[in-house]
Amino acid sequence: MAFITIAPPAQPGSSDVALSAPTKVSGPFSSLRSVPSHILLIALAIVSIFPIYWMFVTAFRPPSDALSTNPLPGPLSLENFQYVLKTIPIAGMLANTFGMALALAVSQLLVAILASYGFARWDFVGKKALYLLFVGSWLVPFQVTMIPNYLLVSQMGLLNTITGVVIPQLCSAFAVMMLRQHLEAFPKDLLDAGQMDGRSSWRTLWEVVVPNLRPALAALGIMLFISAWNEYLWPSLIMQKSDALIQVGIRGFLGAEGNNWGAIMAASSLACLPIFLIYIFLQRYVVDAFVRSGLK
Amino acid sequence: MRPLRSIALTIAAGTAALALAGCSGTSQASTVSNQIIPELTADQQVNITFESYNLAQAGVWTDTVKGLVADFEKAHPNIHVTAQAPQGGGAVGSNTVSSVQTQLLAGHAPDVAQLTFDSLDFAATQLGAQPISDLVGQKAVDDALGGAHPFHPNAKHLADWNGKTYGIPYVFSTPVLFYNASKLADAGITNPDLSTWDKVEAAAKAVSAKSGKPSLDISCASIGGNWCMQGIFKSNGAQVLSDDRKTIGFGSDAAVDTVTKLAQLTKDGVLRNADSSAQSEGLAKGDTAFILTTSALQGSFMSAATKGSWQLKAAGMPSFGSKPAVPTNSGSALFVLSQDPAKQRAGWELIKFMTSDHAYEQISTKIGYLPLRTSLTAPGGSLYDWAQKNPLLAPNLAQLDRLQPWVSYPGNSYVQIDDILGKAVENVVYYGKDPKATMADAQKRAQDLIP
Repeated sequence: MAFITIAPPAQPGSSDVALSAPTKVSGPFSSLRSVPSHILLIALAIVSIFPIYWMFVTAFRPPSDALSTNPLPGPLSLENFQYVLKTIPIAGMLANTFGMALALAVSQLLVAILASYGFARWDFVGKKALYLLFVGSWLVPFQVTMIPNYLLVSQMGLLNTITGVVIPQLCSAFAVMMLRQHLEAFPKDLLDAGQMDGRSSWRTLWEVVVPNLRPALAALGIMLFISAWNEYLWPSLIMQKSDALIQVGIRGFLGAEGNNWGAIMAASSLACLPIFLIYIFLQRYVVDAFVRSGLK
Repeated sequence: MRPLRSIALTIAAGTAALALAGCSGTSQASTVSNQIIPELTADQQVNITFESYNLAQAGVWTDTVKGLVADFEKAHPNIHVTAQAPQGGGAVGSNTVSSVQTQLLAGHAPDVAQLTFDSLDFAATQLGAQPISDLVGQKAVDDALGGAHPFHPNAKHLADWNGKTYGIPYVFSTPVLFYNASKLADAGITNPDLSTWDKVEAAAKAVSAKSGKPSLDISCASIGGNWCMQGIFKSNGAQVLSDDRKTIGFGSDAAVDTVTKLAQLTKDGVLRNADSSAQSEGLAKGDTAFILTTSALQGSFMSAATKGSWQLKAAGMPSFGSKPAVPTNSGSALFVLSQDPAKQRAGWELIKFMTSDHAYEQISTKIGYLPLRTSLTAPGGSLYDWAQKNPLLAPNLAQLDRLQPWVSYPGNSYVQIDDILGKAVENVVYYGKDPKATMADAQKRAQDLIP
């Protein structure tokens, strides 16, 4: 993923993205000119959607047809889902993974609010250096910190617990950077007004800043949740019990004696459902989140 | 404070890396007292952890191992076993050592672990595997490997190192040539003799000519297949490592000749260039007609053949002309890693149970692995009926008589050495690189990693 700011931060209270309106091309050929770009976009959309489509098609095939290259589904079968439900405690895994992702998203959001508020509100000695260290920590590969974090979690007696997965990731430098951008653009007048009303910095944060940042916080929260949901290596290192998280559960269908593609696709389909539900019900915020961050 | 934490973590990472390096550089081999560890008393409660990569695979693998552990606890009520899969996100069986290593660093390595044979040297010298023959005495080891249905003679000592038994072989497979007899029949070949590479080439050429595409896969020649590539080398008189374990032999004339012959199959349009996953699915889907691969895939091929209404047959590993084929084994052994005498004894009891007649009855019938107590498949044995129902086992069982061990390279860089060989073989066999120069370069780079 790359972090590219493509839009200025939205103004408080607004959920709309401040993008400059495209210049309209007038004339009879204007619609024709957009045909190639639309064809390209449609092609890219198909390329993006096809793996998801293939996952569901394979999941709904009979297990013996798992390697079929027929692009059309059928005959439809629920055998793969039945096998997955019988073989791994997928409901518990989904619940655990949901809990882990929610805990991570909430904690990272909370830390990001406090840190970015500090960076945006006050000038202090070493502020730039401290912020650069934040940015720098985001660039440290996970593999570098993996072993020290593992040892720490082990010494805390938190191996094989979801808490052990969550604690070393309570803070997200990415979230801090994102929110700092929004807070930098936050009207100083509102902050001053809060102080004139006799609010402390703490109350100003929760009673003035946070309510006005709700759209941005919602968008960031969704991104953090999706990112946590997609975590694989760290949970698989901490959770040796194979019945804890969905990521580890799906791996169980990969084996030296051949991969059970039907079960993998069925389990993956079920694992995608919470994210799909989020997308369906919070579509505006999800799109907003990705547009704001410039994450591709 | 994220920045400070990150700096601290970075420093800690470096420290841990040094600690890891130190850990792997300093021998963890136990100080052997040559005293037999005491038996457990009937009321002595012991908790042990057992790490098995079979537990990372859902379905019959996990169910069978957990079932055996439950049976063991019933038979030994004073021993409680916590069975766990290796940690980390690697493929099943690929991360057994790194998992133990990480836990060792954290001070809680599993008491008993299932480790693959390629890590034998590392396990014995660096990972703290205990010499079982010292812990319980050679006679106890011999008794455990014997009994009414003893281990196959060539399987008994696969996890011996430096004259001592460090592990008890648990499950393994051998390279078997599976083929789609229906496709061969379509090409006019019935009851084929596939005992030599020349004969395999002739048959594969006929099928390829009929289908218009390569019909043969050799998983041994792909990354991850070195365990059986070693067998192909040995079958042609080459050695990957000298008998004194000091000299790499990838660049020998015999080794170069071996990969040259396989490369010729690619040039002739007979051998398909595909990754290991695509290879195992190739035969199942009907894309290919032959594959030399692990016998452990037999079950998935059988179900594919039933579904696709084609006839699956199996032959042993082909030989080079009149030289005898020398199959090697994949698989794993069970090792005791605990330093505590009570846990060591409990671990030994578990290992004996997991390699007993009862265990192999469960493992073979439910998972389909080869029973290392091969006489169980003989008339009167408890697996006789099962073996009769699975005639494809015959070549697998037969080539145990010619089995030679999967060589584990010495030193801490055994994985890198294996990787160098795998890439060199792929480059020659599939990508047309010069055999002599490529293998010589691989030999030099691998030799530099030998301590």
